Amino acid sequence: MPLKLLVQLSARNLTRHKRRNFMLLMAICVAVAGVTFMNSLIRGFQYDMQESAVANLTGHVKILAPGYLDDPSIQKSFELANDWQPDIAAEELDGWAARIRIPAVIMSERETRGIQFVGVDPAQESISFLGDAEYDGESLRDASDRRVVIGRALAEQLETKVGRRLVIITQGADGLNREMGFRIAGFYDAEGTGLEKIFVFTGIKTLQDMVDAEVFTEVSIKLTGTPKEFSIKAVLAKYFTGLVVLDWQELEPQAAAMFVFADAAIFIWFLIMMGALIFGLVNTLITAVMERVRELGMLRAVGMRPGAVIVQVVLESTFMMALGVAIGIGIGVGLVFLAGEGIDLTQWAQGMEMAGMSSKLVPRLMIPDLILVAGLSMVFGVLASLYPAWRAVKITPLEALRR
Amino acid sequence: MTEVVVRCCGVTRTYQDEAVPVYALRGVDFEVQRGEFVSLAGPSGSGKSTLLNVIGGLDRPTEGSVEVDGILLNDLSQSELSDMRLNKMGFVFQAYNLIPVLSALENVEFIMQLQGIGAAERAERARGALASLGISELEHRRPGELSGGQQQRAAIARAIVTNPVLLLADEPSANLDSQATEELMELLRGLNEERGVTIVTATHDPMVMGYAKRRINLRDGAIVEDTINEAIPVAK
Repeated sequence: MPLKLLVQLSARNLTRHKRRNFMLLMAICVAVAGVTFMNSLIRGFQYDMQESAVANLTGHVKILAPGYLDDPSIQKSFELANDWQPDIAAEELDGWAARIRIPAVIMSERETRGIQFVGVDPAQESISFLGDAEYDGESLRDASDRRVVIGRALAEQLETKVGRRLVIITQGADGLNREMGFRIAGFYDAEGTGLEKIFVFTGIKTLQDMVDAEVFTEVSIKLTGTPKEFSIKAVLAKYFTGLVVLDWQELEPQAAAMFVFADAAIFIWFLIMMGALIFGLVNTLITAVMERVRELGMLRAVGMRPGAVIVQVVLESTFMMALGVAIGIGIGVGLVFLAGEGIDLTQWAQGMEMAGMSSKLVPRLMIPDLILVAGLSMVFGVLASLYPAWRAVKITPLEALRR
Repeated sequence: MTEVVVRCCGVTRTYQDEAVPVYALRGVDFEVQRGEFVSLAGPSGSGKSTLLNVIGGLDRPTEGSVEVDGILLNDLSQSELSDMRLNKMGFVFQAYNLIPVLSALENVEFIMQLQGIGAAERAERARGALASLGISELEHRRPGELSGGQQQRAAIARAIVTNPVLLLADEPSANLDSQATEELMELLRGLNEERGVTIVTATHDPMVMGYAKRRINLRDGAIVEDTINEAIPVAK
C-alpha cells in the first residue's frame, strides 16, 4: 500500500474547505481541552477528598483495638512496648502517630459540648491536619503539654478565648468519670468547621495521666507516594497480633466509594464529550467524501485498491483528530496551570465539607489521564471515519465517475 | 506478426430498468491489435462508453468475455481488476479528473507511487512525460491553475507514464476547443505512431474520429460498421 502517497493526499485534503475544517478542528480542540481540564478537576476533587480523609486523623492505615469502632472508649485501648514500631522502608513511610482518642464533654463558663478528646505527641502529628494547621495562640509543645488546643468553630460555640480555662470530663480506665481543668493554648483552623467543632487536643501523656493508664486507642500510619496500604496491612497484621488493622477505605467507606466513582466519572465525561463530537466528525467526513466522490472514483479507476481509499479517509480523520488533540491538550494543560492556585469554592464551603473536601479545588494533572484522552480520542477518530470510508468504497468507480 | 491486445466475444451488457432489461451492448465481438488507434463512434446511447468501460474493467459484461493482453477480465476480483488497470492500462477522462491538491508533476507521479516505483525514477519519468507533452514548465502548478488543454495534457501524461499496454480515452475532447482538440489528437497520434501505444477512444467528435486509424461505429449496443480510416490528417 502506498502509505506515503496516502499520507500526502490525506494531509493536503485537510487544506480543502479551510473554514469547515477549521470549525471542526476547533470543536475537537474545545472538547479535548474541556475533557482535559474537567478530568484535572475531577482528579483534584478525588485526591483532595482522599487526602482530607487520610489527614482527618485516619492515615492510610490505622491500628485499633477490637471493637473500638463500635465503642470508641478508653476500655478499647491497647499498650505499646517501647520499641513498638515495626520495620517499614523509610521511603514508603511518611510517619506514625500513636494517640488516645475518646469521647468527652467540654465545658466553658457559658456552654457545654460533646467532643472527641485526643491525646497526641505533636512531634508525630505532621501526618495529620494538625501538622499544617494555623493557630491563633500557640500549638501544643510536646506530649506532656497540659494545655489544650481547640478548633476555632468550637471556641465560638463555647464563647471562650485563648488563655481561658475549660473543664473536660471523660471516662477513666477504671470506668469512673474523670474531670480536669485545661488552659487553652490556642485555636486551630482546619479545612471545614466539622473538624474544628469535634476535635480537642492535648498532650498524650497528660491524657494518659487523666485516664490513669499508659495506653493508646489508635496508631495511625501515613505512607508516601502511591499508598501501598494493602501490602503493608499484612505486615502490620502479623506484627500487631490481637489488634485490628484497617486501611482508609475501610475507615472512610464513603470517601473510598467517591474515589472509585471519580475514576468512572472521568470515563463518563469523556464518553459524553466525545460522543457528541463524533457525530460532527462523521458528518463532516461524509460531506468531504461525497464532495469528491468523482476524484475517489478516478483513483480507483486508475488502480487504487478499495483498501487504500479506506486508509486515505481514515488517515484524514486521524490527522484532524491528532491535530485537534494536540492543540486541545495544550489548551487544557494551559487552563490547569492558570487554575493552578485552585478554584475558590468558599461560597459552597458547607456542601464541599459534606463531600469531605476543602473549599479550594486545585486541579490535578495526571499524565496517564492525558494519555488516555489522547489515545481514546484517536481511537474515536478512527472509528468515526470507518462509516464515511465505507461509503467512499461502496460506490463503484464507474458510478463515481458518472457523478 | 500482429498481437491481440483486446478481445471481446459476445459482450452483452444489460441494465435493469424496473422490470425491463435495457441493452447497452448486444453481443459485441471485436479485437484490437497491438499498436492500433481505434475510435468507438456512435450517437449518445449507442454503447460506446459502456464498451470502453467494459474493456477497462470498470464495468462487467452481463454475458460474453473480455480479454486484455491475454488476461480474461470476467474472472478477476475488484482488487485484481484494480491491479490490472494500474499496470496494463492508462485512462484519459472527459473531465481530466486530476487531483486538485497535487501539482501537475505529482499528479503524474502518483500512479507510479501506486505501482511502488522509487522516488528518483518516478520524478525522472514524470518529468519526461510532461516534457513530451510540452508542459514541463507547468509541473508545479495545481490543476486549478492550468487551462483545460493543459489539464488534459497532464492527464495524458499520467496515463502514459507507466507505459500501459492500452490507452483508453473517453470523450477526450469533450471540454476542449477545436485548437486544443487538434493539439491533443496530434499528441495521441505521436504516442501511437512513435511509441506504439495502443489507443481506444470513445467519441462523437469527428476530429477525434478523423485521427483514428480504425473506426468502429455502434448503434443500439451493436457494431454496425468497422472500417479503416484512409483519410488521416497529415502530421504537423
